[in-house]
Amino acid sequence: MPFFGELFVSEILKKPVLDPKGEELGRVRDVIVVRGEPFPRISSLIIEKRKKTTSLLWTDLNIFNKKIISSKTYSDSLHPYEFGENDLLIVRDIFDKQIVDANGARVVRVNDVKLEGYNTEAILIAVDVGVRGIMRRLGVERGGEDMMRLFGKHLPYNLISWNYLQPLEPKLTKISLTVPRQMVSELHPADLAEIISRVSHKEGASFFRGLDVETAAEALSELQPDVQAAIITGMDTDKAADILEEMQPDEAADVLSDLPVDKAKEILEQIEKEEAEDIQELLSHEEDTAGGLMTNQFISYPPETSVKDAIEKFRKDADEVETVYYIYVTDPEEKLLGVVSLRDLLLAHYDATLSDIMETKLKAVTPDTDEFEVAEIVSKYNLVAIPVLDTENCMLGIVTIDDVVDRILPPAAKRKRRKV
Amino acid sequence: MSLWKKIALFLSVMGPGIITANIDNDASGITTYSVAGARFGYGLLWTLIPTTIALVVIQEMIARMGIITGKGLSDLIREKYGIKTAFYMMLGLLIANFGNTVANLAGWAASMEILGFNKYIMVPAGAIVIWMLVTRGSYWFVEKILLFACLLYFGYVISGFMAKPDWVPVLRSAVLPQMQWKSEYVMLSIAIIGTTITPWMQFYLQSSIAEKGIKKEHYKMSRIDVVAGCFITNIISFFIIVTCGALLFPHGIRVNEASEAAIALRPLAGDYAYLIFALCLANASLLGAIIVPLATAYYICEAMGWEAGVNKTFNEAPQFMWIYTLTIALASVVILIPKAPLVFLMVLSAFLNGLLLPFVLIYALLLVNDIRLMGDYTNPRSYNYISWGTVLAIVGLTVFLIVTYILPSGRL
Repeated sequence: MPFFGELFVSEILKKPVLDPKGEELGRVRDVIVVRGEPFPRISSLIIEKRKKTTSLLWTDLNIFNKKIISSKTYSDSLHPYEFGENDLLIVRDIFDKQIVDANGARVVRVNDVKLEGYNTEAILIAVDVGVRGIMRRLGVERGGEDMMRLFGKHLPYNLISWNYLQPLEPKLTKISLTVPRQMVSELHPADLAEIISRVSHKEGASFFRGLDVETAAEALSELQPDVQAAIITGMDTDKAADILEEMQPDEAADVLSDLPVDKAKEILEQIEKEEAEDIQELLSHEEDTAGGLMTNQFISYPPETSVKDAIEKFRKDADEVETVYYIYVTDPEEKLLGVVSLRDLLLAHYDATLSDIMETKLKAVTPDTDEFEVAEIVSKYNLVAIPVLDTENCMLGIVTIDDVVDRILPPAAKRKRRKV
Repeated sequence: MSLWKKIALFLSVMGPGIITANIDNDASGITTYSVAGARFGYGLLWTLIPTTIALVVIQEMIARMGIITGKGLSDLIREKYGIKTAFYMMLGLLIANFGNTVANLAGWAASMEILGFNKYIMVPAGAIVIWMLVTRGSYWFVEKILLFACLLYFGYVISGFMAKPDWVPVLRSAVLPQMQWKSEYVMLSIAIIGTTITPWMQFYLQSSIAEKGIKKEHYKMSRIDVVAGCFITNIISFFIIVTCGALLFPHGIRVNEASEAAIALRPLAGDYAYLIFALCLANASLLGAIIVPLATAYYICEAMGWEAGVNKTFNEAPQFMWIYTLTIALASVVILIPKAPLVFLMVLSAFLNGLLLPFVLIYALLLVNDIRLMGDYTNPRSYNYISWGTVLAIVGLTVFLIVTYILPSGRL
């Protein structure tokens, strides 16, 4: 059953589940979860009708979102359900449970659980521990939001991602965080990003102000697009421009594309001209295509360059460029002729030219190739990067494997990277 | 186990039960008993025996839950009944307990004034002392101070003997139930139960047992602590009623406040009786002003899952310490503002307490019978009859009391 998008478990509780004819099978009472990689996933819904509880398999569901839940099957295929001790149920076993940190100190309780679509599964990606979660459970989230807007504020989302929580087991009495709370300063940028996405946007912005430009750029590129946008919006233009300049052009373009047009323009004007042009070019592509994923920083040399010269030049150029494992060989019109891997380059004779050692059977994509197709090619041929060519075989940029991985894994998993 | 070992073990477990039960006799409790004694003499003494039994039944269950689960009552309510129940209950309790704290600080202010101190100095001073005690002291230290303060209640026993009552009618009224169909009599008898069994003490007792970390094996010793506490507190109540009944009632002196009782005693029983009454009231009020905000901080933090405990510092348990601090600070301010609506606050708080008590007790009973939670320590069947009977009786009386609050006349 495909489920794309996200929702909170409290939003589907007591919602009717319909059969294909629109008859009510019962109302959602609880949700059974099983372990899965990388996150726990839903295995069935427990629904209740006239005091009778039955279970409905996840695979039997047709539509699953916060407005409509419908089944492919009729009431005769429901299995009676007895609440068992060994099942893990979201409402019974996870809601309202105590979260303790790695040192055993009580931190907060689970107010709600967030689900997200991943392939055909619904996975548990985070627990809600904030005021918003409480209000949602009390049924006054909308009202609370309106109240806060009166004061010109937003209700913050306070979520803790599952990868910071211990694996779930049946009969659990409390849930532990896997990190102690006070380690912020020693964390990897990816972990920093995780924490920032947990605090409110306002705090996130002030948190960023305390970081140096380089760390800030790294941490920012690990964040979810909506959080990125909120944080950049909350910063003054100069600082935002500095940070974006420090980021890779493709990542900077991603951030800018989520901002309001005026704000994006304002920031672009502050960015150094050359860099800004690169970014602008990238901005013209659809986000979920090779063009949207690519970066226009890569290393390319003419075919007659000798290996010795290439290595010399490489030493100077590689500092600025993110992905250096391939040296692209291009003619004066930037038409792609071949590629030399770093390994081949270092192993070759000094006197050989690039055209002697280059690989000419190339895999490439066009700017409008779908991101999943790009992923397939990269994975099939075990590439680290893939060139993006226009109709005349001119080199526009490259898509690197890390961008591809970010796109095809569920959002929280990409932040699972730990300290290296 | 040798006798000495048993005694040593008891001393280590002792505390939560005795303290909780004694602090039932806080400022409003003492007021109720003084008023009862002055108005009806020994006429209401008999209510103390059923009250003691009800108290023992309930406190024993709460203590058992604390020992077996290692969690507070509000932990369990949130985990079992979800956030809606917990949230509205905590909101109600927060307001009710704020009123209780104000009542206790008012009792402190009144006792200081009749002793000749200025309340504008003594209320802040008292507030600072109890604030320092909890925020700076360890659980062990705070418990020892509270236990020592509980000893001071014996002043009432002394005053009871000083009043030289005729013991035969006293004992007869204590064991023979009688009923006077006067509205005031009925109200007061319910009020005695109402001030003895309150929502906050259930939370405080269970949380302090959980924080103390009493083990399953020591459950029997802890039960002695609880039962002893219940008896001691009602013996104290008994002597308050006896003192006022023997001295004020025959002269037809009516009082509305515990501090008025102390003043009224002076010409009749001399300076010592007056001093004992005033000092004991001061002590009880201050104790109440520690325990009630502490209970508030415990149950709100438990419901929200925040770190809680007297043993923690401001850094480790910020919310806990802030709730305690703010409750005391705001209550002190309310006391010191001239013409603050104190009476309204206290009536509101009594009303909310009455409204919440049935829920607290029923939830507690359901929880104590939950096998998932309590395992082999659920109530035995026969004990369940007694406890349900007790709870339903209290619920009935409280509902009756609430109805009288709501009725436009305000009185029967």
